Amino acid sequence: MKKMLVVMIALLFALSLGAEAFAAEKLMVYTSMKESLIGKLRDAFKKKYPDIQFDYYSAGAGKLMAKIAAERQSGKMTVDVLWHSEVPDFYQLKKEGMFEKYVSPEAKHVKSTVKDPDGYFTPARLGTLGIVYNTKKITAPPATWQDLLDPRFKNGYGIANPALSGTSFMSVAMLVNNLGWDYIQNLKKNGARVGHGSGQVVDDTASGDLKAALGVDYIVIDKIVKGANLGFVYPKEMLVIPSPVAIMKGTPNLSAAKKFVDFLLSKEGQTIIAASGTLPIRSDVPVSTKYGLPSPDDAVKRAMKLDYLATMAQKESIIKKFDAVMRGK
Amino acid sequence: MIGRLLKRLSIAEVLLALSVLVLVVVVAVPVFLIFWTALFVDGSMNIDDIVKILSEPDTYEALKNSIVIAAGVTVCSTILGVFFAWLVSRTDLPFKNTMKLLFLVPFMLPSFIGALAWKMLLSPYSGYINKFLMNTFDLADPPFDIFTLWGIIAVETMYLFPFVFIQVSGALERMDPTLEESARISGAGLLTITRRITLPLMLPSIGAGALLVALYSLAHFGVPAILGNEVGIYIIPTKIYEKLHQSAGSFTAIRTGTILASILVISAGLILWAQSAILKSGRFQVIAGKSMRPMLLKLRGLKYPLLLVSVIYLAVTVLLPTATIFLVGGLKTYGLELTMENMTLDNLKYILFEWQMTKDSIWNSFYLSLAAAFVTMLVGTLISYVIVKMKIRGKFILEFLGVLPFSVPGTVIALGVILTWSGKFGINIYNTAWIIFVAYIARYMAFSLKSNSAALEQVHDSLEEAARACGATHWQALKDIVIPLIKPGMVAAFFLIFLPALRELTTSVLLYGPTTRTIGVAIYTLNEDGETVYAATLASVALVIIVIGHFLIKRVTRTSNEGV
Repeated sequence: MKKMLVVMIALLFALSLGAEAFAAEKLMVYTSMKESLIGKLRDAFKKKYPDIQFDYYSAGAGKLMAKIAAERQSGKMTVDVLWHSEVPDFYQLKKEGMFEKYVSPEAKHVKSTVKDPDGYFTPARLGTLGIVYNTKKITAPPATWQDLLDPRFKNGYGIANPALSGTSFMSVAMLVNNLGWDYIQNLKKNGARVGHGSGQVVDDTASGDLKAALGVDYIVIDKIVKGANLGFVYPKEMLVIPSPVAIMKGTPNLSAAKKFVDFLLSKEGQTIIAASGTLPIRSDVPVSTKYGLPSPDDAVKRAMKLDYLATMAQKESIIKKFDAVMRGK
Repeated sequence: MIGRLLKRLSIAEVLLALSVLVLVVVVAVPVFLIFWTALFVDGSMNIDDIVKILSEPDTYEALKNSIVIAAGVTVCSTILGVFFAWLVSRTDLPFKNTMKLLFLVPFMLPSFIGALAWKMLLSPYSGYINKFLMNTFDLADPPFDIFTLWGIIAVETMYLFPFVFIQVSGALERMDPTLEESARISGAGLLTITRRITLPLMLPSIGAGALLVALYSLAHFGVPAILGNEVGIYIIPTKIYEKLHQSAGSFTAIRTGTILASILVISAGLILWAQSAILKSGRFQVIAGKSMRPMLLKLRGLKYPLLLVSVIYLAVTVLLPTATIFLVGGLKTYGLELTMENMTLDNLKYILFEWQMTKDSIWNSFYLSLAAAFVTMLVGTLISYVIVKMKIRGKFILEFLGVLPFSVPGTVIALGVILTWSGKFGINIYNTAWIIFVAYIARYMAFSLKSNSAALEQVHDSLEEAARACGATHWQALKDIVIPLIKPGMVAAFFLIFLPALRELTTSVLLYGPTTRTIGVAIYTLNEDGETVYAATLASVALVIIVIGHFLIKRVTRTSNEGV
């Protein structure tokens, strides 16, 4: 019996560890997109390229960058393609020579607030952030950013931790850039809180722990579709955050990585992205307007301005200052 | 073939060398590297830096919180454990045998799943209990807030008090009643007897149980991570996690981690040393065999009220959280009311059959714990055999190394394994399942050693000697005499490792790669990502697996005991 057990365990190991080693082509994407978005893309991509063993690791941008840094230290890179929303990170990694140059044939269709002229990364989605609110606690939805300073949002407004979430960091940078630190200070005065990741603040709002929060489009819409007590609005000045995709330099799976980037930017890929409740970067892909999503052109027009290169240099100081203001230190 | 090979070499030397090798590679090197990294920078000792890092506000705060939480949990668990132990072993509480078994159930519930449930019940504005109380009594502010030091202490206590309970109830039952009887005959009252006789006799057991709780709480990750991280309450293990995950794996982050880890190892060592000192001092105590029947205190009118208190306690700490996990796991989306029309089985279908990440996590946990349990059991048998049975020079090294696994917390093992196995010595298994496998062996070696040496100590040397005298080789004697006799101990070791490894979080949360999440890690990251409902669904799957596992153990250990 014991011998059988040994054989069984050996087999288990061989199966689980060997399966990866023998697949023809592999691809590992590190992304901050949640399962509800990346899962559908994976299914379609796998259908199109059944020979590529596609895998992804989904976590907040902060965690992804920490993981990549650890991998760089250990000298063994697992990541082939990087796709998240903290744009300054892409400028930083490009500067450090971590990216493979690749201009996809699909790139000419891309409409975005960010563009890398050297072709090291390409925006693959236009993320938007609005105000998500609990419909049981807030009856009249807020219309402007200033509305959140109202007493009815007292001790009930949340922003995801910018150290963990890329979209949250970009939003904070844009809010500060356009409305000033005073605005953040006033939010704090009204009892606003720092939440955890960008998913958790939405769940906290749905459960009523928060009355409203800064919410990422597709995360909120996914929950609304499932029946959560949530509403979603965009103030006139919009937070529009492109999520670039890039191929890591020296990846052994270059051709698979290129196929994935092409697929992501293609009409097919962008249609899936649009269907999960976020904005495509192509104007030839229709946007579902059911949940108040604007068209990509409209979003780019309403977007708050931000100097990305300058933000790259200030990343740490912005996070530190935000933390100090919000935690009242 | 192996047998013939072993015959030619001296089997004793081969075994010793092998055992030392395994312990050195798996346990000693990682721990050594942690101390080394903490103490030395570029080859020279750097104490100033250590002082600087420890006096930084966030590290200092984490140390302080660790001590407050460990102390709080220890005190609360001791009070609860001693009270309930006394209740089931020294009073005429009705259904006491059933109650005794039920008090061990909190052990089965992984504490981080408990924390998840209490978060759903006692979050300030959204917790079900808080909402209920606020609606019923028209309160403006929530009465409870679980995201506090007290919340963490309460939840840990719920799932750790059985450590004290087991120690104390065992000792209370084995205590020689004649001592108390003679005191009574000499005219002492109940209070005097308790104060002068019972309590002093129980102190070593209470102390041992309390120290176990302190050790566990100090090294515990799950509860403080789920209830504390969100509001900025960190303890040593969660601070190490945060440093490693957010500071981009830089050397300073790793160094801070190793310094905190060194503090953990040293405090764990001190606690274990204190425990053995206490147990030694208690050796004189008169605890006799099983036939003794201590006198029972008649509870009279308090009989049923106290039974009710125990039942309510168990219902609140075990049933309520379990039910919450299952109910929330069935919700369509978080925040809906817990009513029938909001329930769905889609979540279950989704995480079991569709979502690659959760499917992987269940599979990963399963084969990793199976493999780790099997290997650790075998290696543990080998090492225990050398320690207990063999007379050979150089054994003391092994005895020293054998104590090491007991005092190394899971977080420390993870950190040490990262330092050892990510390319520094030519082998790079970072991000693979192998690194978790190696860490599990180190983490659970203590269980295997304990169970195997206990079994081996019961096998008298004369049995093996008789076999050798009849002409059997060392290997034959081992195979035909010793191993069959210690088989129950080996089986016990296997399950003692397999079940905890199945729900492991503390170590794997620092080691997981993109495709190597374990169940514990998957639940934890789902909760962190705001997928509260899926976290609960996966947690209910884990609970079902754990309960089935416990049933299987009971059956297997019973049949294998009968077999001998």
